[in-house]
Amino acid sequence: MSQSLAKQCNEVKERYDTCFLKWYSEKYLRGTGSAEDNECSTLFKEYSKCLQVALKERGIDKLVEDAREDNKDNDAAFLGRKKCELFQVAS
Amino acid sequence: MVLTHTTNHAYSHPFPTVTLAFFLRYCSPQLNPFASHVLSTDTISSHVDPATGRLHTTRIHLKKSRMPPAVMKLLPTSLTGGAADKASYILETSVVDIREGWMATESRNLNFVGVLSVVERQLYTAPVSTPTPTAARTDVETKVVFRSRLGERIRDRLGQHAAAAQQEGGGWFARLGAHGIQRSIERLASTKTVDQLGKSREGMHMILERLRHTGLLGVLEQRKRARAMEAM
Repeated sequence: MSQSLAKQCNEVKERYDTCFLKWYSEKYLRGTGSAEDNECSTLFKEYSKCLQVALKERGIDKLVEDAREDNKDNDAAFLGRKKCELFQVAS
Repeated sequence: MVLTHTTNHAYSHPFPTVTLAFFLRYCSPQLNPFASHVLSTDTISSHVDPATGRLHTTRIHLKKSRMPPAVMKLLPTSLTGGAADKASYILETSVVDIREGWMATESRNLNFVGVLSVVERQLYTAPVSTPTPTAARTDVETKVVFRSRLGERIRDRLGQHAAAAQQEGGGWFARLGAHGIQRSIERLASTKTVDQLGKSREGMHMILERLRHTGLLGVLEQRKRARAMEAM
């Protein structure tokens, strides 16, 4: 994938991305990827630990929090509407 | 003040491949030349909901500012901080339901929201009439909502410090009118985004073609080689 926003996270991000993409295409898309399927989770924890520091340094963690808070209702409405649409198409 | 833009498109590729291309679309400028404005991509969370089997993913992209230069020119530097060439953080959330055959995505800017908020929502669906996962068609509806809150903020400030604002920037806004400014910003951004949507679609097509010819492993190999070249 493209670079991480924090250079020091690039290597572990690359390993996680590769793991995720393989898991996604070989397992999840074939209907065998479950929630317990955590072959990439050790890599993700390592990557996340590195990334969280960078997000905090740049104040992005706060921006994300604000955006999520701001849109909880919208998201619920969006997913609700989407299901209705799918239902209409299906019926 | 809100401006909405909706488009529909059909990819001639099966739904699972299109969702994979969505995750791969910013993988490398060598693979997708239409993503050269994407500076970085990071995953901040990713999990499968055990109850629904849906994959929830949140990513942050850093893109060279998509704020059109014309919008930046409209704004006093006191508001933009001279930030015309700064990058925007984009928060992307996605939900994939492989069993039901849909993916819902949302992208929104995290900074500059006081000037302009752009929220892009996409719904990818496998065709209902041919429910086999190999059916080579995926529909996508894209809805972009533009909202400029600039005038609202200025009005608030005017209300609080009418006299001070008059000297600082009230005159500028009085001349053009907050209403007109919001509209102009939304329209300019909308025009730019429609252009951008075409490019992002072309980028998806390039990734999809690579996947068709070389599969994921081929794409990963190509990406690795591109990275090695960059490092030299």
